[in-house]
Amino acid sequence: MTGAGLSGTLLWRLAALTVFVVFFQIGVVSEVPVFGVTVDLTPLVVVFVGLLCGSMLGAISGFAVGLLVDLTLVQTLGVTSLIFTLIGYWAGRLRELRDPQAGLTPLLVGAAAAATALVGYSLIEFMLGVDAPVSFQLLRQIVLGVLVDTIVALPMWLLVRRALEGALPEDPRRRRRRAYTTGGLSPLTKA
Amino acid sequence: MYDKTVRRRRAVLVMLVVLSLLLLSVYFGEAPSGRLHAVQRGFLTIVSPIQDGANKALKPVRDLFGWFGDTLHAKSQRDQLLKQVDKLRAEVVAEQAEKRSYRELLSLYHLDQLGVGDYRPVTATVVYKSPNLWYSTVVIDKGESSGVHDNDPVINGEGLVGKVAVAASDGAVVDLITDSSMGVSARVGTSTATGIVQPKVGDPNDLLLQYLPTNASAVAGEDVVTSGTVSPPDNSLYPPGILIGQVTSVNEESAYKSVNVHPAVNLHDLDVVQVLTAGPGSRAAVIGNVATSLPVQSPTSGGEEQLASTQVGG
Repeated sequence: MTGAGLSGTLLWRLAALTVFVVFFQIGVVSEVPVFGVTVDLTPLVVVFVGLLCGSMLGAISGFAVGLLVDLTLVQTLGVTSLIFTLIGYWAGRLRELRDPQAGLTPLLVGAAAAATALVGYSLIEFMLGVDAPVSFQLLRQIVLGVLVDTIVALPMWLLVRRALEGALPEDPRRRRRRAYTTGGLSPLTKA
Repeated sequence: MYDKTVRRRRAVLVMLVVLSLLLLSVYFGEAPSGRLHAVQRGFLTIVSPIQDGANKALKPVRDLFGWFGDTLHAKSQRDQLLKQVDKLRAEVVAEQAEKRSYRELLSLYHLDQLGVGDYRPVTATVVYKSPNLWYSTVVIDKGESSGVHDNDPVINGEGLVGKVAVAASDGAVVDLITDSSMGVSARVGTSTATGIVQPKVGDPNDLLLQYLPTNASAVAGEDVVTSGTVSPPDNSLYPPGILIGQVTSVNEESAYKSVNVHPAVNLHDLDVVQVLTAGPGSRAAVIGNVATSLPVQSPTSGGEEQLASTQVGG
């Protein structure tokens, strides 16, 4: 998405979605362990915003969500922002270059985002020198974390798409309809 | 036009990455009283009333989810607890006799022990929990305005929860005992040998009591309690005798013995906690100040506490 495609409505919706998801995550979702781990909605919202809005908005919303998480939870500032910026940008580039339309795309992209977030945290914390023993359990927790995030990826995708639908200049439904009517090609080539 | 868009997109990415790295470097390098930490505390002060309100509004949703899990575990927990009650009933009788003797000995030797009674407990509600593996923290709705300060011990009815990491005016962040920054001086049961309880990263259900002497006795099922001393890297003085967890297994290592400990507190289900605050000039505050002002030993020297609280009072 280019800067010209940005609308006030979209920005407001993104801001509201971001704040709601972060507070809902910390206030409710973190309190409910599934298979001994907690679902993390924040990388999912970032990756889906990137997938719907493009690389620039994906990166910006990733940075904003990360900063909000770090500020609210009094964590090391910059860690989550860095990881989420890269996740949002990657998802946006995926859309811009490949524009995946398969039904399983949200699941795969959500799993990739969760894995990147969990492994990214671990690597950065190691680099920052966390002085604590690391066990095989860490790997198990990362795998379980990715699994539970993948389970909730589809409902989260529907929620994010529903929240932003209508405000996106390149609405996915319109994009598909146009592709159908033109046979997926430019009207010029059809003629 | 295309080039301009690409350039702008790349510039935004580079700017955000550099900004994140800058925040990370400055935050990690500065002291807890630094500017970014102050901004974070200020943000916590602003959002803690919102968090409190949101927590109350979302409590029914949380309770609904929690209800399913609680119901599944309730039956097995009841059977376990009935067995424990039978066992504890017998132990209480023996303990009471020992306690009488212990008090007589303390008065005989003019020793005064710092206990939970020397603190002013402040009851607080948990309003937020950290979601990831690396930051085992919760946010509570009581802060400096209620007398809560950095490093104050935090407990609940089951045992030791953690300590206050950052206190803002109307809220505070609590590091749980499973947080990587924690190191609580502890002993197994009634033994005098002390070690340091630290978390096993990546396993929120397991702690490790390290640096116990090889001749220290530890049996699976025994209680692990705070020893009442300060240990590096943690600068918090926990009153002695607070339950931390139960021994699950013992590992023999070369120079020290270590013990796996299952936390007594269900850290996934924290709702109400108590912060043990020490009023200005109180005995707990004086001892705490003495303990934290003494030269700190290297964290690797484990098990060498700065101060035995039992030898300071009276």
